[in-house]
Amino acid sequence: MSKKEFLGGKNSNAYIVFYSTVMVVIVALLLAFTSLSLKDKQQANEINEKKNAIVASLGLEKGSYDSVIDAYVVNAAGEKVTIEDDVIKRLNKLADSYAAGEYIVFENKATGEFVLPLIGKGLWNDIWGYVALESDLSTIKGAIFDHAGETPGLGAEIATPKYQAQFVGKTIYQDGQFVGIDVVKGGAPEGDNHAVDAVTGGTKTSDGLENMIKDCLQCYDAFFKALTAANQEVVETVNAE
Amino acid sequence: MKNKTFQSLTNPLAKNNPVLVQILGICSALAVTTQLKPALVMGLSVVAVCAFSNLILSLLRNTIPDRIRIIVQLVVIAALVTVVNDVLKAYVYDVSKQLSVYVGLIITNCIIMGRVEAFALSNKPLPSLLDGIGNGLGYGAVLVIIGFVRELFGSGTLFGYQVVPECLYEAGYVNNGLMLFPPSALIIVDIIIWVHRNANKDLQEK
Repeated sequence: MSKKEFLGGKNSNAYIVFYSTVMVVIVALLLAFTSLSLKDKQQANEINEKKNAIVASLGLEKGSYDSVIDAYVVNAAGEKVTIEDDVIKRLNKLADSYAAGEYIVFENKATGEFVLPLIGKGLWNDIWGYVALESDLSTIKGAIFDHAGETPGLGAEIATPKYQAQFVGKTIYQDGQFVGIDVVKGGAPEGDNHAVDAVTGGTKTSDGLENMIKDCLQCYDAFFKALTAANQEVVETVNAE
Repeated sequence: MKNKTFQSLTNPLAKNNPVLVQILGICSALAVTTQLKPALVMGLSVVAVCAFSNLILSLLRNTIPDRIRIIVQLVVIAALVTVVNDVLKAYVYDVSKQLSVYVGLIITNCIIMGRVEAFALSNKPLPSLLDGIGNGLGYGAVLVIIGFVRELFGSGTLFGYQVVPECLYEAGYVNNGLMLFPPSALIIVDIIIWVHRNANKDLQEK
């Protein structure tokens, strides 16, 4: 049988259907194979990026995550919870983790500083970030934000180092009460320790950012209070001695 | 014959450059050239996709039904681009983040479909492969030139390393912010086209 007669020739309907089917199956197998064989490496890259973002919010070198950070999960009462899976992998389902009342904490073992992962909604899609707190548990040491689809040049400005720099030194507590950070349209008042400028032309993203910071950090209130109380006790015992 | 085969590799690099003469692939040439590294990776990705799509489709050229010709081309090209995207994500993650959607958009890069339609479907596999590599390199070369100029004058760096010395900044030199915006790429492409046409008089319109 010559090739021309196969299924009635190259331009018959039967041949076209046969040809496309075979082609699609081969391509599907090829893509599935590539995707599976590269998946581990891609996920390792994503986790590595998260680790670098966490240490970057603390102002540390890339790659120092494994040596300085202690990661764990606390519940709404501020108690440590033991979980079976890897803490850093939970960042992929951060919103679920918040909803379940399991809050992720990254502690700098050497200095007692904390990095807390945040997640919220911008205008078009998710926004997320990491806020690093000094050991007083109120002053922001560094903040990193990123987004999935905010408008370039407007809402997307939250991901620029210049925008994030204004969070440094702000405090989220006022006389022991959680206040969070206000993202103020038109510019934060001079000397306000709980407010930063909003993004020009990015009002909805700015609102989302403010809500994200307040909603997420508030969840750690009990954890911070317990920690502060524990710290004070230590100080008092030392003084008593 | 040998000579002709070889020409399909060198011609698009020199006189018949796809970006400079046919003005194809301009969109991504504007988008990914603010720095040299993504421009280089983008160029290499297009070389890979263009070479393999030309090779595969040239091998298949006698079996492809005419009526679904374009669909077959698209499937092959899209599959190759997906593979390239996966490889970039696995091995050069930071660059793949910078290139973001533009790797996926290689599928719609006119150079690739253009070469498949115009060359691979009517030529043998070896010249087609060389033609693909040549056109990919021709595109990549223009990208690298633009990326070089834009990064050097826009950020004072090359491949992320500071090359403009600190003393120049102290003497009042400032980076050219325009270089970081898309229009500067167009201006640079225009200048390259000008030089190119000057060197190849027969390309000039009367």
